[in-house]
Amino acid sequence: MIGQLRDKCRRLLQDGAVQVVIGYGGASTPDGMPHPIFVRRPDDVDKLVWNDRCMSNLTTYLTRDAVKALGKPAIVVKGCDARALVVLEQECQIDRSAMHVIGMACAGVGSPRAPKCASCDVHVPALADEVIGEAPETTGPADSPYSELEEFLKKSTVERFAYWREETARCIRCYACREVCPTCYCRRCIVDKNRPTCIETSATVKANFAWHVTRAFHQAGRCTGCGECTRACPVGINMRLLNQSLARAAEEHFSYRAGTDRETPPIIGAYGLEDKESFIR
Amino acid sequence: MNNIYMPDLMEVVEVQQHTPDVKSVKIKFQDPALAESFTFRVGQFGMFSVFGAGESTFNICSSSNWKGFLEFCFRKTGKVTESLWQADEGDMIGFRGPYGNSYPMEEWEGKNLIFIGGGIAMPPIRCAVWYALENRAKYGNITVLYGARTVKDLVYADELDKWAEQERVRVIRCVDPGGETPEWKGEVGLIPHVLERAGVSAENSVALVIGPPIMIKFTLPVLDKMGLAKADVYTSLENRMKCGIGKCGRCNCGPVYVCKEGPVFSFEQLSRLPVDY
Amino acid sequence: MSEMIAQEALPGLVDKWLAQGKRVAGPSVVKPGYCLYVELESSAQLALEGFVRPRNSIKEFVFPRHETVCRYHFSGHTVETEDCDPPQSEQVIVGARPCDAAALPILDHLFTWDYEDKFYTERRKATTVVTLACQTHDDECFCTSLDLGPAAEQGSDVLLLAMPGGYEVRCLTDKGKALFAGETRTAEQAAVVPPGPPVTVTPETVMTYLQASYDDPMWIDLALRCLGCGACAYTCPTCHCFDIVDEGTAAGGCRVKNWDCCQFAMFTQHASGHNPRPGQSQRQRQRIQHKFRIYPEKFGVMLCTGCGNCARNCPVGLGVLSTLKEAAGHGPVEVGS
Repeated sequence: MIGQLRDKCRRLLQDGAVQVVIGYGGASTPDGMPHPIFVRRPDDVDKLVWNDRCMSNLTTYLTRDAVKALGKPAIVVKGCDARALVVLEQECQIDRSAMHVIGMACAGVGSPRAPKCASCDVHVPALADEVIGEAPETTGPADSPYSELEEFLKKSTVERFAYWREETARCIRCYACREVCPTCYCRRCIVDKNRPTCIETSATVKANFAWHVTRAFHQAGRCTGCGECTRACPVGINMRLLNQSLARAAEEHFSYRAGTDRETPPIIGAYGLEDKESFIR
Repeated sequence: MNNIYMPDLMEVVEVQQHTPDVKSVKIKFQDPALAESFTFRVGQFGMFSVFGAGESTFNICSSSNWKGFLEFCFRKTGKVTESLWQADEGDMIGFRGPYGNSYPMEEWEGKNLIFIGGGIAMPPIRCAVWYALENRAKYGNITVLYGARTVKDLVYADELDKWAEQERVRVIRCVDPGGETPEWKGEVGLIPHVLERAGVSAENSVALVIGPPIMIKFTLPVLDKMGLAKADVYTSLENRMKCGIGKCGRCNCGPVYVCKEGPVFSFEQLSRLPVDY
Repeated sequence: MSEMIAQEALPGLVDKWLAQGKRVAGPSVVKPGYCLYVELESSAQLALEGFVRPRNSIKEFVFPRHETVCRYHFSGHTVETEDCDPPQSEQVIVGARPCDAAALPILDHLFTWDYEDKFYTERRKATTVVTLACQTHDDECFCTSLDLGPAAEQGSDVLLLAMPGGYEVRCLTDKGKALFAGETRTAEQAAVVPPGPPVTVTPETVMTYLQASYDDPMWIDLALRCLGCGACAYTCPTCHCFDIVDEGTAAGGCRVKNWDCCQFAMFTQHASGHNPRPGQSQRQRQRIQHKFRIYPEKFGVMLCTGCGNCARNCPVGLGVLSTLKEAAGHGPVEVGS
């Protein structure tokens, strides 16, 4: 697979079809996680790698000025990453026709396997311009993406609140969760606003709670479950669970799953007379 | 143990509005012992608080010879200055300072002083002008070239008149082309151009130039042509600050902390620093 | 000949210190895969092996993420202010890594530079640091490049070194001696400490490069993958930048000091809209300049202890070490090239 990827990228750069390949490159340690790299010269495509440690969701770079300035990109995506492209396109943050999307067939990443992989139904990325690799042999139907949530909801509200208190108490407000997220692209985040201050910047339980709940709400109907936020968190806050809760609500109440269908209008941000809320009429 | 982040309480004595978005405030210490003992040097700055909104950095724009009160001047731009805009006589604000280095007024003794300022940059020049006037014998000719975009944007315009009445003081005021009114009797033009045609002598002179980066960029070559060395041209830098005392790591310009080794720099010093401001 | 304690004596000591009313902090596995320094409620929480080093650092016990520096109350036009003091209770940090302890004497310079920050110095005075020599390291560790090592003593009051049956105890300061007085017994052997990581960079070379090459375009490419979060700075033992804000209501509130990070876009943003460091390349350059040029020029020590937390916690693996290697490989850059 890696040979195919490098050949393809070499040709794309040589032909001038793209100016930069956003892909995975060498790790700083032998068994480490490959880093995001930005290949501009055809000879440098040999720096591209592909393995089950390619954790990053590279689509987060598509909305960054310094990367946009490099020119038309080719981007390497896993199936879970590619779903963010749908949301970004629906929200007019990317021009899907102005990039070349290379999907990599993937059996799962991380060791141990990332929690998201057990419920993966996009081992072969959908919506890519081309796919390298073949569907892996799966060991059966994918788990429900909400299995952890369903277990959690068996706890009482008191227990659940105590859990979130403990989780958010560890938050150091580094915003790694926000910065890795492809759909957190606001130039000025709500937490950076001070006229008025909506969310205090202090790392207290109160303000941390407000931060995580607000971010989850802002991701409602938009989060594609790539799990990067949870992986990026230095202190292990289980944001994925919060996001799952809102994603399930979107499915249950609006039959909507973010990042799966380019044609369906997004549930938050699109309004129609058929909407069930009476105030819209 | 002393709390270095704890402001002193100051009472607003007077508020003066200069332009649609610029006010100056005169404050006095609540603590009479502090009012008595407090000193500073012109060029230094303070951290001024509106409790609940936060702290902001302003030059202390009153002369260091004036006892019992301080003055600062601000443009309404952000959270703290919007709150400061509401300040009235009798209100309490906080003050921490004086911080930073200062104008080398002793080194400038015996020299002719050229002050050049644009817009909201008048206040940090004002304190030096008053100081020099109050020690008139120690300084040579004083030239003040001050300009703003329009007549309405001139800050401390009334004091310019008072300075012009003093001995060996020349005041040149100007507005940008298009900024003049029919009654305007001053110069019309951008500061570098007005400076060029003003025919100010650079003999035995030092200059203090404060203003937006673009104004400084085009004024420096004029001063150079006039014969002033970079080491004799000074400015006061602005960088975002929070603690003002060299701890929070925010205001550094390359290897120097603006709050500790500045904000007053000569252009010779600045030429050795990266453009990190 | 050395002094030692038995293996099981250490948790016993932790419980004893807790019973004495001291605050005790140490590494703890808060959830699988996440070992963090936390305040301990009992010795049962203390984790001493199974990981290279905790993901965070001990700085938060002398320089908290968030603290109040003064309070204010409104009544009509007047404001009353109230001074604040840091907590006065003694604390012990047990099981700290030498690279964490070494950060404290480095930070002392800044927090006492002309103005003494009592919030730091009083906590520091009330803290006794008990370090545990490292038995293992990983590829992100580079303490040896900064004149430190698995049994470095800088910043430590007591150094524990694992040996058969327990720990050798080296009391390095009066505070350390007081804490362990009467707790140790003599032993025949001394502990053997494994070697640390091989030296990979020379900070002095990097400093020379940084002094000569501010405008090197290297920073643009290097910072492309930087996401501008604070994971590196907040988990770093020596990063100390902070913000001061007011938080409260119409009745009054607190002026607080919170951690801040030079990688955030708003860090140097002026109210006018101007930003001296508008992009990630300038902000990454600032971080490395601060650690390996600005701080040593002022205080004679590097603002880094080679712990590797930045690389391990960075979501895209951009650590200080990889940047240093890149910088060390560059000579001084001619202006204009």
